[in-house]
Amino acid sequence: MKPVRFDYKRPATIDEACGLLVSDDNARILAGGQSLIPMLSMRLSRPSLLVDIAHIPELTSLVETETHIEIGAMVRQANARASAMVKVHLPLLFKALAFVGHPPTRARGTIGGSIAHADPSAEIALVAATLGAEIVYRVGGADEIFDASSFFIGPMLTLAPPAGCLTKLCFTKAPAICGTGFHEVAPRKSDYALASAAAQINAEVGLGVTGIYLGVGSVGDFPEPLDVDGLIGTSLDDAVIGDVVHAAMEAVETVEDLHASAAYRKRVATELAIRALRDARDEISKDLNQ
Amino acid sequence: MSEPKYKFLSTPRRPVEDRRFVAGRGKYVADLERPDMLHVAPLASHHAAAVINSIDGSKALAMPGVIDVITGDELAGAVQPLMNGLNTPNVRRFPLAVGRVRYAGEWVCAVVAESRAIAEDALENIIVDATPQPFVLDAEQALLDSSTPVHPEHGSNLLLDRKFVWGPVDEDFAAAAHSLSFSVTWGRNSTVPIETFGVIAEWNGWDQMLDIWASIQMPKYADQIARSLGLPGNAIRVHYDVDVGGSYGVKRGIKHSVLVGYVARKLGRAVRLIEDRLENMRAGDAHGPERKFDVAVAFDDDGTVRAMKMRALDNAGAYAGRAPFQLGKPISAIVGPYKINSVAYHALSVTTNKTVQEAVRGFGQAPTNYAIETAMDRVAEYLGMDRLALRQHNLIRADQFPYLIPSGSHYDSGDYHAVIDKVLAAADYPAMLAERDRLRADGMMAGIGIAACLEPSGGNSSFEPLLNESNKTSTWMESCQVNVDALGCVTARIHTTSSGQGHETLVSTILGEVLQINPELIRITRPNSLESLPGNSPVGSRMAIMLGGAAARAGEKLKAKIMAIAAHHLAVDVDQLRYESGDVIAPDGRSLVWDDMIELAHRQYHSLPDGMDPGLASFDIMQVPTGEALPADGKVQMYPCYAFEFHLVLVSFDPIIGRPDIHSYFIGHDCGTVINPAIVSGMTYGGIAHGIGAALFEEFAYDANGQLLTQSFLDYLMPSSHEVPAINIVKHCTPSPHTVFGQKGSGESGYLGSPAAVSGAINDAVAGLGIHFEKLPIRMSAISDAIAAKSS
Repeated sequence: MKPVRFDYKRPATIDEACGLLVSDDNARILAGGQSLIPMLSMRLSRPSLLVDIAHIPELTSLVETETHIEIGAMVRQANARASAMVKVHLPLLFKALAFVGHPPTRARGTIGGSIAHADPSAEIALVAATLGAEIVYRVGGADEIFDASSFFIGPMLTLAPPAGCLTKLCFTKAPAICGTGFHEVAPRKSDYALASAAAQINAEVGLGVTGIYLGVGSVGDFPEPLDVDGLIGTSLDDAVIGDVVHAAMEAVETVEDLHASAAYRKRVATELAIRALRDARDEISKDLNQ
Repeated sequence: MSEPKYKFLSTPRRPVEDRRFVAGRGKYVADLERPDMLHVAPLASHHAAAVINSIDGSKALAMPGVIDVITGDELAGAVQPLMNGLNTPNVRRFPLAVGRVRYAGEWVCAVVAESRAIAEDALENIIVDATPQPFVLDAEQALLDSSTPVHPEHGSNLLLDRKFVWGPVDEDFAAAAHSLSFSVTWGRNSTVPIETFGVIAEWNGWDQMLDIWASIQMPKYADQIARSLGLPGNAIRVHYDVDVGGSYGVKRGIKHSVLVGYVARKLGRAVRLIEDRLENMRAGDAHGPERKFDVAVAFDDDGTVRAMKMRALDNAGAYAGRAPFQLGKPISAIVGPYKINSVAYHALSVTTNKTVQEAVRGFGQAPTNYAIETAMDRVAEYLGMDRLALRQHNLIRADQFPYLIPSGSHYDSGDYHAVIDKVLAAADYPAMLAERDRLRADGMMAGIGIAACLEPSGGNSSFEPLLNESNKTSTWMESCQVNVDALGCVTARIHTTSSGQGHETLVSTILGEVLQINPELIRITRPNSLESLPGNSPVGSRMAIMLGGAAARAGEKLKAKIMAIAAHHLAVDVDQLRYESGDVIAPDGRSLVWDDMIELAHRQYHSLPDGMDPGLASFDIMQVPTGEALPADGKVQMYPCYAFEFHLVLVSFDPIIGRPDIHSYFIGHDCGTVINPAIVSGMTYGGIAHGIGAALFEEFAYDANGQLLTQSFLDYLMPSSHEVPAINIVKHCTPSPHTVFGQKGSGESGYLGSPAAVSGAINDAVAGLGIHFEKLPIRMSAISDAIAAKSS
């Protein structure tokens, strides 16, 4: 379990990193290393150049704008979880981060690394896809923006531009009245999930529910947002949620492996999606009924 | 309060070894550096079965830092095949594949290089031309005439096919009111230590000596290397002062050791091979039993189980080794703790194109216990009887010991009913039942698991002559040497490595007890194999009995000499003297104190009794108690001691999610006199965790192409601290009559019953749906899928 020989560079700026990526077709970015280093050791990944972006200051910033929270690609998962900004304005991400790996891996693993790696069971990718976050890449000196809801196209496959460097993730801030739910199931605590579900319901006093977001992960080749707009304007009671989720899940393709059958993944993702929506509903019902 | 029976034994003494382990100061093979050491990396087969047409290592050899490429053909011309426990001379095994590969991952050849990284780079430049062959993975398939033999020279896949009938089985089945049959399968798992196997071999041509440092737990390790390499036994020097980072049976590494021994001799250098995790999982040849049981039991209306028929089919993997004997050891407790009158046992072992099997904790006992306990649950279900009451009805009673079981072993002692009563009280069993019902009322599936079983201990190898008549081994000794130096300090030598069993604590505690000296002042050393007396290493749950026994007997011999010197010095008959904390006291109050005794023994030969040798040293080579005879009529007294354990566990899960949550875990444990409570409890905790892994998570699973799916901890799931609940150990002590202090073995405790208990709990939870889970591990998806199938 020794990696193949590779060069290692530690750029100080994003543009320097992009230059290195352009210079070598077989370069790879090293962020927190929680997935890449084991893949290197097992020779599943064989880059000729590792571009370590841990020392680029702009990538570690967490910024609040009027409408968004912008999370630098190198922000450690543990720091994001500990951030008051994330807790207040991105409650769904805050919930999901507790399910990412273990405390030691969250201390090293990064928000951007998880997005770029695109494991189908990744919690951060599921939240980003569910909420349609903006994924910002620097490529050829300019920013290129991707919609997270269509960014993931297969296991470890994304629309990421060649020689691009993921710089940040932009989430729309949750409104004052917002309910969220996140569930996942794994054989052991913090294993790769067999099924996961994320839900967020936005509401405004007077208008009621203004947006409902639901996504499932770990069951197919990539995290999948589900269209549950049909729930807006309904009672959101258990029966309605159940019907809409069952209908939305019908088209979802699930995979089978040693740990779970495809039928299991579908059955459980459906159940978790229902539970996540119910959690979200229960969180806002108090605010809406005031 | 009565006087404590022992001064040091059974006291909460902190294990000696813990200090260096906790501080990270253990000394493992990977910590050792030898001058000019070379490194080996083996090339793994991609095929489950293939004929090797050619191996071209020239490109690898041309790389800087690459020293050699070793092939199976080269080895086959230079070394003898590795030891084979059975009479299957055409199932030949060498460290590297010779002519054909027989499982995916098998070592095709090996690169020797200046560093491990260079060796791994070089592996990618070796060109192997191989023609894939038909292969077989399933044991029942392997039995069929139509299946391809893994070893064509052997003619079939059958390694072992032995039928035993102990007692009037047919008559008992005919007379019983009922019978039922079922099949269960124990999945392929193992112990998977944190430290993989590692070995360094160094050849010194001037001394004609092969020095070996290895992460080893293996009887007759040095002998096997010497035989295979064609060296005199005294040209192999195995250094026992190496810490071993986990084993529970699997740290055999014989193929690794013969390979590096050969290379070291060929190149005249030190050579190291340390498995990485992939090599350990797929080609460490350390998988445990994979066993299918077909069981029939005959029983009466009142629950009396009269007879059992068991067919056990074991999937040994690609080579024989000692693995098939794991079908033999359970004969020692083939009826579990129950009064089953007669048993028919059909033991079958077959080769398949899977990784080779090795000894694992319990040597086949845990799978057999799982089958027996499943039978008890099935009988209770059939009769509509309480599972606990059924067991209590069939258990051997305390007044029936020593109890002779049909297969020829006497159980030494026990009070099974008392242990169970203690557990039921400690667990508040009625409250546990109420909690199960409450969980069910909340919409959860909930069940209680019950398992009672035995840990045969004090291991010998009676199963070898029982399964292989040409094998006449009845000796299975352990030894200990003790010396008191001229300053009066006590040093004992033990002649094996330890893989976490705490042998230094064991021997110093026992010698301290015998000599009434503070154990903290007693030094334990581990010399090399050439400076050692014969032993058989820590296998078969034997060291408390055997190493502890040898230490006690050596201590008693030393004490006898001390008493003789004192009797002579004080001119008092030896029977009149009293030994107290190292001093010898006469009835009139005169005494010979320790320091003066040392002076006499070491410096004043003129004051010693006539003819007595100077110095204070002793040794003992101890045979396994009760292990006197070879088998006769398919019966043998196997192990001397039988520890008892009783598991009681409450499990629940959501019917859709299916993820078992273990709410409470109680184990009653009776291993006789406990020498060190912390070590025994640690063994039990770890054993239960291991058993939870076997029941729910761990499996070396293969795909249809014979590729191992679980090659790393990504997919081979071991329970973590999140999955293992708090464990409540309820202690009981029924001393063994066969051992120096009444101790029995405890190294396999917990593991022997927890898979049966956890499986029983899950099956209890789904009993209302008519579901039986008949294969371990029981994965959460299988639970959910089975419930969904019943609901739709």
